[in-house]
Amino acid sequence: MIATAALGRLLILGALLVSTAGALLGFASGAKRSDEGLRWSKRLAYAFGALMLLATLVMEHALLTHDFSVSYVAHVGSRSVPVWVTIVSLWSSLEGSILFWGLVLGIYIAAATRFSSRGNEESMPYAIGTWLACGAFFSFLIAGPANPFLTISPAPLDGPGPNPLLQNHVLMVAHPPLLYLGYVGMTIPFGFAVAALLRGKIGPTLIRAMRNSLLLSWIFLSIAIMLGGWWAYEVLGWGGYWAWDPVENASLLPWLTATAALHSAMVMQRRGVLKGWTLTLVQASFLLTVLGTFMTRSGVFNSVHSFTQSAIGPTILVFLAAVLIGSVTLLALRIDTLENDGRIDAPVSREGTFLINNLLLVLFTFTVLVGTVFPLVVEAVNGKQMSVGRPYFDSMVVPLGVALLFLLGIGPALPWGRAAREDIRRALLPPIVGGAALTVLGVVFGARNPWTIVTLFAGGYALQVTIVQLAKLRHSRRSVGAYVIHLGVAIAVVAIAISSTMRVQREVVLQQGQSATIGAYTVTFTGTEERSEPHRTSSIARIGVTKNGRAVTTLEPRMNHYEMMREPIGTPDVHSTIGGDLYISIASLEPNRAGLLLIVTPLVSWIWLAVLMMAAGGVIALVRLPRMTPLPALRREGSGEGLAV
Amino acid sequence: MNRFVLSTGAVITAALVTVLMAGLGRDPKHIDSPLVHQAAPAFALKTVGTGETVDIASFRGKPVVLNFWATWCGPCWEEHPVLNETARAHPEVQFLGVVFQDDEAKIQDFLRKRGSAYPTVIDDRGKTAIAYGVGGVPETFIIDAHGTIVAKHDGPITQEQLQSYLAEVLR
Repeated sequence: MIATAALGRLLILGALLVSTAGALLGFASGAKRSDEGLRWSKRLAYAFGALMLLATLVMEHALLTHDFSVSYVAHVGSRSVPVWVTIVSLWSSLEGSILFWGLVLGIYIAAATRFSSRGNEESMPYAIGTWLACGAFFSFLIAGPANPFLTISPAPLDGPGPNPLLQNHVLMVAHPPLLYLGYVGMTIPFGFAVAALLRGKIGPTLIRAMRNSLLLSWIFLSIAIMLGGWWAYEVLGWGGYWAWDPVENASLLPWLTATAALHSAMVMQRRGVLKGWTLTLVQASFLLTVLGTFMTRSGVFNSVHSFTQSAIGPTILVFLAAVLIGSVTLLALRIDTLENDGRIDAPVSREGTFLINNLLLVLFTFTVLVGTVFPLVVEAVNGKQMSVGRPYFDSMVVPLGVALLFLLGIGPALPWGRAAREDIRRALLPPIVGGAALTVLGVVFGARNPWTIVTLFAGGYALQVTIVQLAKLRHSRRSVGAYVIHLGVAIAVVAIAISSTMRVQREVVLQQGQSATIGAYTVTFTGTEERSEPHRTSSIARIGVTKNGRAVTTLEPRMNHYEMMREPIGTPDVHSTIGGDLYISIASLEPNRAGLLLIVTPLVSWIWLAVLMMAAGGVIALVRLPRMTPLPALRREGSGEGLAV
Repeated sequence: MNRFVLSTGAVITAALVTVLMAGLGRDPKHIDSPLVHQAAPAFALKTVGTGETVDIASFRGKPVVLNFWATWCGPCWEEHPVLNETARAHPEVQFLGVVFQDDEAKIQDFLRKRGSAYPTVIDDRGKTAIAYGVGGVPETFIIDAHGTIVAKHDGPITQEQLQSYLAEVLR
């Protein structure tokens, strides 16, 4: 029906109108301190959320009823794909993914308006104004350059279905929405940061609102990055989980700055310093999500994520430039009015390590950013194509990662503020035992790579500190969450070091019935099978797996031929255990001969589990909202958020 | 006004926006082939159906359009009519299909149903595809009468693109 597309367009135009009006009203009522204005901005924020929700429901309805008169449905819909694929088709292609983005933004804005208002009355108008300005931009994208609700007449009878890579694994159902929850969520702390800068001050309730919204996005982003890595591992067939692909980097960049901001916000809260710096990091996190959107949606970078080249690249670039210029100007104008109330008086202290942590994380961010955009620079300058590969990233990032892991042990061991030399020694010496223990354990199991050994030591050190701190439990409840996150980080970094340096790889060609061994496993090629599905045909190799003579499992790596793809896509098969994985993918396959890539990687599953632990820690820190106890030395200014920390 | 923040921010903004702007319009999937302006690698492969051996060297003196494809590749179906029509319209150009990772019965079936205006050979172990650095199918190489590769095209080729390549070698 033509009416469906028209209804969708109408809802989006409504969202554009409401968000533009709400943004203008928000800033105006912030400047005039109008309560009536704030009430109306809030109503418009809710209306924006509702319109986005309705527009998305209209699209899902069109997808599920196979209404091919709607352009997006004609583009990604198909009668031959399962219902779950139809539902998730919403984010399988450019226009739908931007609509989904709008939905997530709408929900975030409505929720933040509802739950962050109390105590932040003076900042809310500016925050709502900022959020709705972003809402207006995305509504404009959906209404114009990336409109999914165009009418196609006459409507085709069937469509091609979504990108086959998205139909290849169920993780694709979870990875994009979580990533959007992480990415889009950065808009909320950004709004609070803009409000703080416009008002020239930031108080404890605003800090809390900013930190909590930042933490929420951070949790989603952590899980999404992990799921992306896991998906690459399970689907792409080269045996790794991270390739420094531009779009992987795009998701890591805001995660790094958000991690830095979460730490500096703590120093801001405790010591009343680093206010401008924390706000800069929050702004940077949001800007990096916009950059990430540009990278995935403009077609400028080649990656498994690249959507088709489209007109929205320039539009997003204009938005990015505008937000950058606005943020820089606002910071330059207001950073000096955010006077520091305290100072950091001892370099060897908890807050001292926070500073180093921030420095390293920002360096990390720059390293990854430079590696990602460098090929563009080279091509722009001399027209030569080049790519920045693993050696650059590994050589830069490994030392930074190890240093951060060390800090993760040293920081929490040190007390806040100035401490006696003897106390410092007492805090820092015992965890060496943990470091040494893990190092010895690793070496016994065959670790030889120097960086791995250093990582094991730093990891063991950090683990002992974290576990001792958790056992004490005299801290605020939020600290419990933070230490659970630290535990996850330490485990993840150690598992990454072990799995990337201690994997064993073998390429073999097996005739039917032949076997090969790798590690403790013996794999036997028992035969092939052809399987046809409506959207693909698969050639499957059957591999019997035994370990120490006992049958363990049968693995079925395959080559998939999709109609839409220029080259076949191999799907590996993995036998996961807590100690390590056996991973088999196909290099070539003939009826009675298989070329196989066999990989045994220790501790891979620990990475996924450790990231889930980090997310769980984040949830603990978020849900058990701490009572903020203002330090006695601080002065109060009026009520609520006037309290300057 | 904090001048340090302003100037640092301005430098970062200008650098990032300039780089990204330069990147707009670039096709990241395009990879320059080192083979362009080089002699086309030699091969002799068996023709589908007849089993006759075709040697690329025997086409010297005539421009050649060398198309790597496979029956399992959707975009190859798309460009097949373009190649067929152009081959019929330009008898002075030798068209040659090279099938990559496929099986002979499927190829014969495909050619019977969709027609074929030029010979198709089977790249048995993919050696020729490797020699030409084929990254995926379809890929098309335009070779001039002296046996030098003048262009490489990734992905399905359109009538207009093919015409402009031919104009170059027929000049």
